[in-house]
Amino acid sequence: MRTEHIGDAAASGAGLPIELRGISKSFAGIKVVNDVSFDMRPGEVHALMGENGAGKSTLIKVMAGLYQPDEGQILVNGAVVRFTSPKDAHAAGIATVHQELLLFPELTVAENIFLGQTPKTSFGTIDWQTMRQRSRELLDSLDSGDLDIDQKVAHLSVGNRQRIEIARALAQDARVLIMDEPTAALAEHDVQRLMSIVRNLRKRGVAIVYVSHRMPEIFALADRVTVLRDGHLVATKPISEVDEPGLVSMMVGRSIDRLYPAKQGTDGDVILELTAVSHRSVVRDISFKLRRGEILGLAGLVGSGRTETALTIFGITPATQGQILIDGKPVSITSPEGARDLGIAYVPEDRAQQGLIRPQSIEENIALANLKRLTRGIFVDAAKVAAEARNAITRFGIRARGPDQLVRQLSGGNQQKVVLGKWLATNPRILIMDEPTRGIDVGAKAEIHQLMRKLAGEGMAILMISSELPEVLGMSDRVLVMNGGRIVGEFDKDHATAEAVGTVMTRSYDKEQAA
Amino acid sequence: MSVAALSPGRTNLHRFLSGYGQEIVVALSIVALFVVVGAVNQRFLSDTNINSIFAGNAYIAIAAIGMSMVIIAGHIDVSVGALIGVIATIAGTLAVSGYPIWVAWLVPILFAIAVNAGVGALVAYTRIPSIVVTLGMLSILKGGLISATAGEWISNLPPEFMIAQMRPFGIPSAVWFMVALTIIASLFLRYTDFGRSIYAVGGNMEAARAAGINPERTVIGVFALHGLFAGIAGILFATQLQVIQSTVPPNLELTIITASVIGGVSILGGTGTVIGSTLAAILFACIGSALIFLNVSAYWLRAVLGLMILATVLADMVRRRRDT
Amino acid sequence: MTAAKVFRHETILAVLTVIAMIVLASLSDKFFTVDNLLNQGRLMAEVGLISLAMTFVIVTGGIDLSVGSILGLTAILLGVFWKNVGLPLPAAMFLALACGTFAGWVNGFIITRFSVPPLIATLATLALYRGLAEGISEARSVRGYPEWFFFFGQGEVLGVPFQLWVLGIATAIAAVILGLTPFGRATYAIGANEVAARFSGIRVNATKLWIYTASGFCAALAAVIFVSRVTTTRSDMGTGLELDAITAVVLGGTSIFGGRGTIIGTALGLILIQALKNGLALSGVKGDGTIVVIGLVLIGAILVGALFDRNRGG
Repeated sequence: MRTEHIGDAAASGAGLPIELRGISKSFAGIKVVNDVSFDMRPGEVHALMGENGAGKSTLIKVMAGLYQPDEGQILVNGAVVRFTSPKDAHAAGIATVHQELLLFPELTVAENIFLGQTPKTSFGTIDWQTMRQRSRELLDSLDSGDLDIDQKVAHLSVGNRQRIEIARALAQDARVLIMDEPTAALAEHDVQRLMSIVRNLRKRGVAIVYVSHRMPEIFALADRVTVLRDGHLVATKPISEVDEPGLVSMMVGRSIDRLYPAKQGTDGDVILELTAVSHRSVVRDISFKLRRGEILGLAGLVGSGRTETALTIFGITPATQGQILIDGKPVSITSPEGARDLGIAYVPEDRAQQGLIRPQSIEENIALANLKRLTRGIFVDAAKVAAEARNAITRFGIRARGPDQLVRQLSGGNQQKVVLGKWLATNPRILIMDEPTRGIDVGAKAEIHQLMRKLAGEGMAILMISSELPEVLGMSDRVLVMNGGRIVGEFDKDHATAEAVGTVMTRSYDKEQAA
Repeated sequence: MSVAALSPGRTNLHRFLSGYGQEIVVALSIVALFVVVGAVNQRFLSDTNINSIFAGNAYIAIAAIGMSMVIIAGHIDVSVGALIGVIATIAGTLAVSGYPIWVAWLVPILFAIAVNAGVGALVAYTRIPSIVVTLGMLSILKGGLISATAGEWISNLPPEFMIAQMRPFGIPSAVWFMVALTIIASLFLRYTDFGRSIYAVGGNMEAARAAGINPERTVIGVFALHGLFAGIAGILFATQLQVIQSTVPPNLELTIITASVIGGVSILGGTGTVIGSTLAAILFACIGSALIFLNVSAYWLRAVLGLMILATVLADMVRRRRDT
Repeated sequence: MTAAKVFRHETILAVLTVIAMIVLASLSDKFFTVDNLLNQGRLMAEVGLISLAMTFVIVTGGIDLSVGSILGLTAILLGVFWKNVGLPLPAAMFLALACGTFAGWVNGFIITRFSVPPLIATLATLALYRGLAEGISEARSVRGYPEWFFFFGQGEVLGVPFQLWVLGIATAIAAVILGLTPFGRATYAIGANEVAARFSGIRVNATKLWIYTASGFCAALAAVIFVSRVTTTRSDMGTGLELDAITAVVLGGTSIFGGRGTIIGTALGLILIQALKNGLALSGVKGDGTIVVIGLVLIGAILVGALFDRNRGG
C-alpha cells in the first residue's frame, strides 16, 4: 500500500506545494516516524490522524522545519529542499498554526500579524497605515471583521488569537497551512467559525494539514485522510472511502484484550465520591463514585476537563462548588498537602514539570512527599530515606545505579516509576494517574499496567486519565467520558468499545444539549 | 480608509485613552501637582523653580529612555547611576586636561556604549540574569571611580564645555535634549524594525525567534543604545554645575528605574513607552520640589519613590492576573 | 545532585581560600596575626548573618535586594525608639528587631501573595525601607548609647568577639536547617522545580514566607550589632550590603537560578571575600579598590558557574 501511494503522488506531477518521501526520524534510538510518505495538493484539507505517540507531531515538525529528518526527502513544487530552520519552511510557503499560540500579548493585532515582515514606507520605516489596512483586509477575508486590529492580543480569546495566527500565515503567502489540534481549546461557536474559515482557505487554494481527533470535524472538512500508527503510515485515503469505525480501527489497529492484565478480585466500598463538583468553568458539575479495588478510566480529548477534574480533587485548583466525600464523609481539600493527608495521591501528566525534580536524586524525589514520615526529631532520617528509595527501586524494578542517581539520567519509564514510588510511599488509598504511560516505551508500559492491576487487586482505588483509547478500554473496569468540562457518558467494561467511547468523546456538544 | 473605520466600535479617543492610560495619568498628576502646590505656595510656580525642575532633571529623563528600552526588552540595569558618575568624571577630566571639547563630550559616550554592549553580550549569551551582571558592574564602576579619583572634585571647567548651561532660544539645552531625544526614541521604537523587535523579544522571546528575530543581537543592541542615552545623560549631568564631584550620585539608578516603571513600562517586559518615562521623571522632580515647598522634609522623597514603585508593580501584576 | 559534586565546588573554594591566605600573609606580616584575624571576623559578622539567610533565599530561586535597607531601617528605629520615644534600650532593641523581621515578612507577602518577581519586589522595598529610614531620621544620627550596649559589637567572650560567636552559632543552625531538616529539603525542591514541589505536597508559599521573614530578621540582628560596633546610628547604614551578601553566596557555589547551594559554601565565600578585602587593604589598595575586586569576583564566579552548567548539558 505504501509503495502504491508513493507512485500515486509522484504521478500527480510537480505542482505539489509539499511532498514528503520516506521520512524517518529517531529520538534517543527510538524511531518515532518510520518511512512515512505524505503529500498535499493545492486547495485540499488533508486530515492527519493517529493516537498520541503515533508520530503526527514529529511529522508536522519536519514539515515546519523544526526537525530535520534522518532519512527521506522533502519536495516543494517537485524540487528537493532542505529545511534547516522554520525560516526556510516559511520561505517555501509553509506556515503553522501552533497549539501553544506564538503571539506577543502586549502588541496589537495588526502588529502580531506582520511582525518580522512589516510593510515599509519609502524612508524604510514601518508603514503603520498600510500594515493596519492590510491586517483589516486579511481579517475581513477571514470573516473576522469584528476583530479590532488595534487591540492588544493579551485581551483576546483563544479563538480570536487563532484567527490572528491564520491571518499571519496568509500574510506570509502560505500555500500550506498546518493546523495542529486547532479546535482542542475552542468553544463550540468558535469551532463552527474555524470550520468556515478552513473552507474559505481551501477555496483560495491553500492546502491545509488538519490534525484532529474529532470525527465530526474530519468528516465535515477533510478531502483526504492519512492515518499513522506507532510511527508507520497505515494508509492515505479519500474521505469518501472511510467511515468512523473504520478510521478508529485503523488508528487503534490491535486487539485490545490481550495486552492488558485481567482484573483481580472484586470491588469494595465506595471510597471517593464527588457530587456536583465544579471549578470555575473548566470543571462543571462532576459527580461520580470510586470504589476500592476499582480502576475507573476517565476518557476525553485534551481540554475536555479530565486533568482539571484531577487537579480539583488533588487540591491544586480547589472546588468552587459541590462536595467531595471520602468514606462517605464530606471533606474540604484546598491544597495538595491536604489531599495527601487524606490519602489521595496524584501522578501528574507532565512528568518533567510537575512530577519530578529532575536535577535531584531518586531518594530526594521519593522523600519529598513523605518528609513528615521520614523525619526523626527535627532531622530528615537519611537512613530511612535511603531504605525507602531502595525499597521503591526493588519493588517497581527501577533500573538505576542506586538511590543517589539523578532522576534526569533515567529513562522515561523509570522516571515514571520514581513518581509512582514517591506517591505509593505515602500509603494512599486513592491513586489518580494522569496519562500514566505517556512517552514511555512498550515494555515499561506493560510493567506499569501490571502494577496498576496489582494495586487495585490489593484494594487501591485508581482513577486513570488517558488519551490513549486502547489503554482506557483495556485497563478500566468502568469508563467515564468527559467533554466540555462535563461527564457526558459512562460505560461499564462490557459496553466500553472504541466506537462507543470514541463517538461520545469526539462529539461536538451544543451548550444546550450538554446542559 | 479612515482610522475609525479600521476599528469598529471604538472611537479614536477611546483607543488613545486605552493605549496611553499610564502616560495620561502621569501627565494629569503633574498638572494637578502644579495647580495644588502652586495654590499653596506661589513660589512653586516661579520661573526659577520651574526651570530647576525641568533643566535640573532632564538627564534623569534621558537616562530613563534607555532604561525603558532595557526593561521593555525584559532586562534591567542597576549600574546606570554609577555609569553616569564615571562618564561625568571622564568628561570633566578630559575637559580640564586640555583636550578639544568635542573629545571630552564624545569619548565618555563611546565608553558608555562599549561598557553596556559588553554587559548586553554577557546577558544575552551566558543567560546570567541582567540584575547580577549589572550588580557586579555597579561595584566595579563605583569602586573604580572612587579609587581612581580619590573623591577629588574637578573644578575650573572650561565654559564652552558646559553644554547643559547653554540656553538656545532662551530654553536650557538640557530641556531641548530631553524633548528631542524623547521624540526621536519614540519614533525609533514605533517605526523601525529594531524598535519593534525590542518589544517582541521582551514580550515572547521564543515567538520572536520564530518570527525571524535574533534575540541575542537585539539584547546587545538595546544595552548599547541604553549606553548611548546614559552617555548623553552623563554629559548633561557633568556640565550642570561648576564642579564635578567624582562620586556616584546616590540612588540615581533607582530614580531612573522608577521613572521607567511609573511611566508605564511593565517590569515583566514587552510593553511601555518612553514618553511615559520622561513624564514620570518630570513628575518625580515635581514631587521632590513640591515636598520642599509644602514644608515636608525632602528626606521622605525616597520613601515616596519606593511606595510608588511598589504600587505600580502591584497594579501591573493585578492587571495581568485579570487579563489571563 | 550527588554529594561528590557539591563538595567539589567547596573543595576548590577551600583550596582557593587557603591560597589567598598564604599569598596575603606573605604580602603583609600584619595579616596572619590573631588580632587581625579576630578583627576581620568581627567585621564579617554583619554581612555573614545576612548571607546565611540570603543562601536560603537564592536556593529557592529568589533574591532579596532589600537587606541593606532593612539594616538601615532597623538601626534608625532602634535609635528612635530609645532616644526619641524614650523606651528602655532592651525594649527598643526588641521592637526594632521585630520591625526588621516584619519588613522581611512584607517582602515575602508581596512575593507570594501577588506573584511579584522577588527581584522587583525587593528592589521596590529597597527604596521604601531606606526611604523610611531617611524620613524618620531626617539624616540625624543617634549617639550616646550606654556602655553595656557596646558589648554586642565590641565585647569578647573567651577572647573571641561576641558577634563572631553569634555568627558561628547562626551558621551552624542554618547549615543544619538547610542540610538536614524537611524545611531544607523543601527549600531545595522549590528552587529546583517549584511546580513539582507544590505537586508533591510541599507548602511552597509558607516556606518562602518563612525564608524572607528570616532574611529580615538576620538583617535586623546585623543592624543591632552594627550600631553597637560603631556606637552610632545613621540612616545610610548598610548601603550596598546586599551586593556583598549576594557575592558571598554566589561565590560559595549557590546557583543564582536556584536549587543548589550550601551554607558551608557561603561561609567559605564570606571568608575568601573578607580575606581579599583585608589583604588588599593591608597591601595598600584603598578601600574602594576592593569593591572593584568584589564586583569582578562576583561576575567571574557566576560566569564560571554558567559555563559549568552548560558543559554538563543542563
